[in-house]
Amino acid sequence: MSEDLAKRHYVPAELGTLRTWLVAAIFVNLAIVPLEWLRVGDLAMLSVLDAAILGILLMMLPDEGAGGKRDFAIIVAGVAMISALLRLATSELAVFDYWARAWLILPAGMAIWWLSSPHVSSWIRGDMTTEGAERGLARNRTLKPRLSAAGVHIVLLHAVAVVLIPVIWILDVALSPGNALGGEVFDQFTGEHFLKILGGESFWIWLRNSVIVSLGTTILGLSLAIPAGYAFSRFKFRGREPAMFSFLLVQMFPGIIILVPYFLVMKSLGLLNSWLGLVLAYSVTALPLCVWMLKGFFDTVPKELEEAALLDGCTQPQVFRKVILPLSLPAVAVTALFSFLAAWNEFLLALTFNTSNEMYTLPVGLASMISATGQAWGDFAAASLLVSLPVVLLFILFQRFLVEGLSAGGVKG
Amino acid sequence: MVEVKFERVKKMYDDGTVAVSNLNLTVNDGEFLVLLGPSGCGKSTSLRMLAGLEDVTDGRITIDGNVVNDLSPGARGVGMVFQSYALYPHMTIAENLSFGLRMEKGENRLSKDEIDLRVKETAELLGLTEQLGKKPKELSGGQRQRVALGRAGIRRPKVLLMDEPLSNLDAELRNQMRVEIRRLHDKFGTTTVYVTHDQIEAMILADRIAIMEGGELQQHGPPLEVYNNPANEFVKGFLCKHIDEIVDTANRIFDER
Repeated sequence: MSEDLAKRHYVPAELGTLRTWLVAAIFVNLAIVPLEWLRVGDLAMLSVLDAAILGILLMMLPDEGAGGKRDFAIIVAGVAMISALLRLATSELAVFDYWARAWLILPAGMAIWWLSSPHVSSWIRGDMTTEGAERGLARNRTLKPRLSAAGVHIVLLHAVAVVLIPVIWILDVALSPGNALGGEVFDQFTGEHFLKILGGESFWIWLRNSVIVSLGTTILGLSLAIPAGYAFSRFKFRGREPAMFSFLLVQMFPGIIILVPYFLVMKSLGLLNSWLGLVLAYSVTALPLCVWMLKGFFDTVPKELEEAALLDGCTQPQVFRKVILPLSLPAVAVTALFSFLAAWNEFLLALTFNTSNEMYTLPVGLASMISATGQAWGDFAAASLLVSLPVVLLFILFQRFLVEGLSAGGVKG
Repeated sequence: MVEVKFERVKKMYDDGTVAVSNLNLTVNDGEFLVLLGPSGCGKSTSLRMLAGLEDVTDGRITIDGNVVNDLSPGARGVGMVFQSYALYPHMTIAENLSFGLRMEKGENRLSKDEIDLRVKETAELLGLTEQLGKKPKELSGGQRQRVALGRAGIRRPKVLLMDEPLSNLDAELRNQMRVEIRRLHDKFGTTTVYVTHDQIEAMILADRIAIMEGGELQQHGPPLEVYNNPANEFVKGFLCKHIDEIVDTANRIFDER
């Protein structure tokens, strides 16, 4: 009985992995073509050839009992490897070349390695014993998670690279002498750009404005959103549903619609070129989302907790302060962070409301550094990094709360 | 002498549903009264009206001679054990227990040392001394239940209210806790109102049973009296027939062995 089962159900994990990997490699090699074309022109067609070879390899992957196919597959893989090594040898040997050829060398290499391993060979030949099949199943059990973990990590590494490469580039420009955009990465280091930005007056003025406006928005927004979220969650009153619905509704409109109306309102209130104007505008635009998030969180706090607190002798405000608020710290932290960042990064309103350098926030100040003649890339890169720094720091500090707050209410206590 | 009186108590919601109609019931001093009935019969609503968590549409509720209809829950001198325990998740067990004592204002307020002593005593009484520094989520269901019990009783309330406190426990724990609850009641003599849908639990725990259905009180009296003299078809079916079936099943199992 068991011998049939084991032999019937055993498929070496390596083959499934190879299939997936080859499909991915074909896509990557095709995707490389435009990039290659920018670098080496018509020679980019070689990548198409590579993709085709990989395709043949994919089709040649043997099933059980197809011994001949296997030999052919190994030969095809060998051809792929030789072609890749040749291309590598005749290229610039830049990081990109290594990466591009790796997507040919590695799949082909692993194919050769796995297809010629003893247990896969015996499976392909069809002369696998029961013990062999059972051992194979056991091997699969440890191998499969490791292989899929490797696959996931490869994907993640690529994603991280896509995100980090621009940042590294900017860092390089910020640290390189002169104001050019290109050049070798990390060949020279200088602090001149950072010193210039930090030594000048403007940056600190912009920083001061951004801090005041962002903090003000957070404080004002939260002190309105927290009670509002609580009220929407706990109390039934006329207009509750329409209000919640309209909160959602206003999110549909692109921000730029409010630009002109807001400008006119602020002008008539005399709040242009002021901190208060921006704080008010930002708080109001952030409120709907904040109220929604907080209401959603308060919904997850069981009513019995408040009832128990009432029975313990608390007044309604005390219930809020001593029971609800401590429990809602993660959600409040997330909402605060969100408000702060929205205000910090906001550009259009700040640009429209404020016309003097004295009141520029950091994004607007940064934009004012873009000149029509001769962009000073080094300074600009340094300034960009400095503007992003507080955001990154805040995220690092609030990491713990963010994970908790975003999944708040997931598990009943 | 703490007597609880429901006088012509009625509860009607905004949409017209009547949860409790014309409830007239007296809980005598030191009595363990069980409100028994199927889901939706109005027993929990009655308890919550007594606690102050629901408004009374009509009628009066008095505790110890005082009409409490308009008193806030915290001022009524009642302690309540919830079905879901409702322990404060962000506080330790000791803080959970002492919370009510710390919220006390005015002349009844205890000093910090007195509060600590009370907490210690309560923890010892309920076997929770090891747990005082932990948070509720680190405790088992049975332990949390005992903390809820302790929290309700630590202020020496005039009336102790319990809303199906044992429903979330497994059978073995339920048996243990039933004994515990009855023991604590006999020790302190607090007037207790206990809500359940479990007929056996009611028969075992109660000094007096009050059976409700459809918002109306069907019958009340000592357990065996009600069992032997059911006042109407509903009581006969819900209480007597049910208990008889259980006894028959038990007998059959033992006979067949």
